[in-house]
Amino acid sequence: MMTLSDIPPKGGSPLTLPMAALVLLLLATPFLVARLGLYHYLAIEIAIWIIFATGFNLLFGYTGLHSFGHGAYLGIGAYGFGLFQHKFGLGLWSGLGAGILAAALAGGFVGLFLSHRRGIYFALLSIAFGQVFWFSAIKLHRITGGEDGLLGIPRPPLTLGSWQISLADNMNFYWFVATLTVLVVVFLWRLVNSPFGRVLQAIRQNQMRARFVGYDVWRWKWLAFTGSAAMAGLAGGLLAMAQHSAYPDVMSLHHSGLVVMMVLIGGGLVNFWGPILGVLLYFLVREVLGGLTETWLLWFGLMFITMVIIKPEGVAGLLGQRAASKAPTVHKASAGSAP
Amino acid sequence: MPGRNIREVKVQNSKINRRKFLSTVAAGGACTFMGPWSHNRVYAQSTAKPIVIGTTTDASGQYANSGSSERRGILMAIAEVNARGGVLGRRVTSVHVDTETTPATGSRVAERMIQQEKCGFLLGGVHSGVANAISQVAQKYGVVYFNTNSSSPTEAGQNCHRVKFVWDGNGTNFAKAAIKNSINAFGGKFVLLTNDYVWGHDTARTTKKQIAEFGGQVLEEILIPQGTRDFTAALIKIQQLKPSIVAAAIGGDDQKAMRQQVAQLGMSRSPVWINNQQDWPDVYGLPAENLFGIFGTNWYHELTLPGVKEFVNKYKAMYSNEVIKVPGNVFYNGYMAARELFAAIERAGSTNNIAIIKALEGHAMKAADRMQHFDAYIDANTHHVQQTIYLATANARPKDKDDLFSILAQAAPKDVIDTDAPQACKLESYAATPTFDA
Amino acid sequence: MYAILPHLINGITLGLLFALIALGFTLIVGVMEVINLAHGSLFALGAYFAMTIISGGAFGSTELGQWWLNFPISTRYVAAAVIGPALAGLVGMLIEICLRPTYGKASLYGLLLTFGAAVVLEESIRIFWGAGEQSLRTPAAISGAILIGGMIFSIYKVYAAAFAIAAIVGVWLFLEKTPYGAIIKAGAHDSEMVRALGYDLSKLRLFVFGFGAALAGLAGIAMAPIWGLRPHVGLDVVIPAFLIIVIGGVGSFWGAILASLLVGLSIGLTGAFLPAWSMVSMYLLLILIVGFRARGLFGRKSALEN
Repeated sequence: MMTLSDIPPKGGSPLTLPMAALVLLLLATPFLVARLGLYHYLAIEIAIWIIFATGFNLLFGYTGLHSFGHGAYLGIGAYGFGLFQHKFGLGLWSGLGAGILAAALAGGFVGLFLSHRRGIYFALLSIAFGQVFWFSAIKLHRITGGEDGLLGIPRPPLTLGSWQISLADNMNFYWFVATLTVLVVVFLWRLVNSPFGRVLQAIRQNQMRARFVGYDVWRWKWLAFTGSAAMAGLAGGLLAMAQHSAYPDVMSLHHSGLVVMMVLIGGGLVNFWGPILGVLLYFLVREVLGGLTETWLLWFGLMFITMVIIKPEGVAGLLGQRAASKAPTVHKASAGSAP
Repeated sequence: MPGRNIREVKVQNSKINRRKFLSTVAAGGACTFMGPWSHNRVYAQSTAKPIVIGTTTDASGQYANSGSSERRGILMAIAEVNARGGVLGRRVTSVHVDTETTPATGSRVAERMIQQEKCGFLLGGVHSGVANAISQVAQKYGVVYFNTNSSSPTEAGQNCHRVKFVWDGNGTNFAKAAIKNSINAFGGKFVLLTNDYVWGHDTARTTKKQIAEFGGQVLEEILIPQGTRDFTAALIKIQQLKPSIVAAAIGGDDQKAMRQQVAQLGMSRSPVWINNQQDWPDVYGLPAENLFGIFGTNWYHELTLPGVKEFVNKYKAMYSNEVIKVPGNVFYNGYMAARELFAAIERAGSTNNIAIIKALEGHAMKAADRMQHFDAYIDANTHHVQQTIYLATANARPKDKDDLFSILAQAAPKDVIDTDAPQACKLESYAATPTFDA
Repeated sequence: MYAILPHLINGITLGLLFALIALGFTLIVGVMEVINLAHGSLFALGAYFAMTIISGGAFGSTELGQWWLNFPISTRYVAAAVIGPALAGLVGMLIEICLRPTYGKASLYGLLLTFGAAVVLEESIRIFWGAGEQSLRTPAAISGAILIGGMIFSIYKVYAAAFAIAAIVGVWLFLEKTPYGAIIKAGAHDSEMVRALGYDLSKLRLFVFGFGAALAGLAGIAMAPIWGLRPHVGLDVVIPAFLIIVIGGVGSFWGAILASLLVGLSIGLTGAFLPAWSMVSMYLLLILIVGFRARGLFGRKSALEN
């Protein structure tokens, strides 16, 4: 059975088939989009959620820490970016940096509480902190705008040397986000295939054993949590640019649960590419079913349940199984027990 | 690959070919299947391009009920105008995507409607965050957006936009309508129950100003966080403070729980409750004792004004299967907004957005046309429709099971206008608003 | 001092009601070691079934419906309070059957499946009963208010609190004084051994899940006259229930009861003095308690920790 521990012996070279497929897909999307009767903003949102979900899976799939409150960091990143633009002035990279920093600080702070825990205690504390952040966003409405949202967030132009490219147009903005997405995915791929990634997997498989082998488990868990929160912060900053606003709603339990659903359906528990498949599936199902019926969430929920019962390894697991059925009989030694 | 024999590889290849072929067919089929969604396409005899209305209403989440109601209002107005031959000779069609009472979805839906569905106008909204998300996108492209049912004072205040028009009365209007008369009638000792978010605070701010202006006194303001389901602590405090009036700025689900508990305790008669605006879909079907206190609305189906009976009958004919048997203020706002949009397009003589905006700004609407007591007008400074505000209470002698309200009084727009809004509202200039032609 | 007394009583009443709400959840977690996120939807479902039974629903206009509506409301209410939870229990059993493939795997799968079930149930309620606010009628005998010492108290709440106490005692007796509790607890840790000892574990699990779901439905019926009834009312239930079992400690029955009282008191008392913080106080309570006692008040080691 496929597992995240199937690390290729040559380590983290990003020149793999799935990576090429992703780059091709991102390149082709604007042209596909018109053909399929979709719209550029959707492509932007998908790319942003790919960043969020893949970063989230570092914590969820690789380290095995099931956070149900990660939407909070998406929201904090968005507010961080927006408040920076409003208070300190226009700046693309500084704004995104502010979003990442804000989310990383929040994640680091929460991580101090959470990194000692596992399982159900971890999950519930992550929910509790997520709810506290949501409550704060609503209550501190003089800063965040409350339920009205933090509005009028600009898209600062991209400055490359002497060129200034406006990101106001959705197409230009999409190329910007898509480039960042590829960079983030390559970065995460290198990260999970590095010794850092292997330690995280070791912690997931058997925390006690990892500690006996000499790793300071608490510190690694904290790093994984803060790192995934930082990724969420980047996604949040981009979301604020896309929407020109930031709202408390992404911090709610419902939205934090959505990314968990996406990661699971896609197969993030067994494969690096799982979260990406999950994001694509969710958004496309939503657009297709949502246009046909108002009860699309019912069908998505049923699909989700069926997936959990029949194939918890998700879509990536399904695809992996079909690939495995064609593979030669020489069996790869897997690095650990299945999740 | 090493270790495979040639026969396997051959079979493998053909398998791949067949699979590839099937998947290409499936993808191609999917591509042809994927296309515009939920279109009410009415193919006209004329080849004129239809005017496409995007209904950005909630069909799920907290405001699902109100969202469906306002959408029905918009659809009825569309049906009427098509029966008369359309607008400028063009038929009107509509597209609907659920905004899910979520602002991020609102942004996405607005982008989709403008970019993909080629909508010329966006109508609908109850939640202020969703309305803000939609209006920002609309302003970006220059698409006219009608916020039909959001009652937050910020909609026509700091969050106003050149392309956006607000069709509902807001918390400030209502507080102005209610407070002065209540002090005269019941005494001036107030306790405020304020939902701890922007709408609650904005409404409470006006209430406090009014109380100060007309000689009342605020004994205490109790903040109620969003999501409160148990009001006992607040109700105990109210009993201990003994005010003459409780002014409650509580909305959404919190309000439903509050009504339930106040009714249960029998506290609905004393002290007197002022409950701000009540949307018809939120109160329809509630037991009579839950509908206590004085509340506001901008229209009621039993107003003794010309045109009301015909309007109600049209609703009953078109929506006989609905749970809500008679139209209320939410439906009314959706209908009126759509109807006035079509009228503005006719007045402007084109679907150019700036022309339509200019045809709307300052536009006066006769009371008889709107089935209200006073003439209304679209404020040119804030794009807020200034209209009659009604004070109502539960009907002690209902004619039938739908006759829930008893109208106490009606206030003219000039008496209840939000005087802070023009300073807070900074409309974008015409030059800064992109031109858009539907 | 006198002024705080009603708030204390309110806090304890709230705590008892929370205990009733969390009861079914606690049972399933403590005994089957499954986090049932569909608990809130089952809570709502019980109340909706009861409402339809009392009002006759779609059958109200038929002859059978008319015959039924002739009964006094107290009869209909009692019938609804029995049949409603039973129906919710059946739905719970259905969920348990779906959960079977996930036993033995990481607890995450069970949790996710119940999350999906919660979504499906809530949407189904919205489709079947509509998105609007409904109300559950109660007999006059347990409704209304009484005046004690110048303060008004809700009669219904008194009955609901008393009922909560009865339910808590009843469930505790079931867990401690009957063999079922011990058998299923053992099954969560070593199902092979339990089966080897001759017990039909799957039938018992089915029963317990159904029982837990029925308790959720019963709590829904009890709370509907206080909270109102709408499709998403379950959302207000799941998080407090989850909080309560973790504060009390996973696997501890009395821990959950004590935690419920603490949560009720924290909401009630902050409602009196710092109202804006009343809803977030339970999260802060959780962070505080779990910060000092990693397993909650009386927590024991549990399979859910992995």
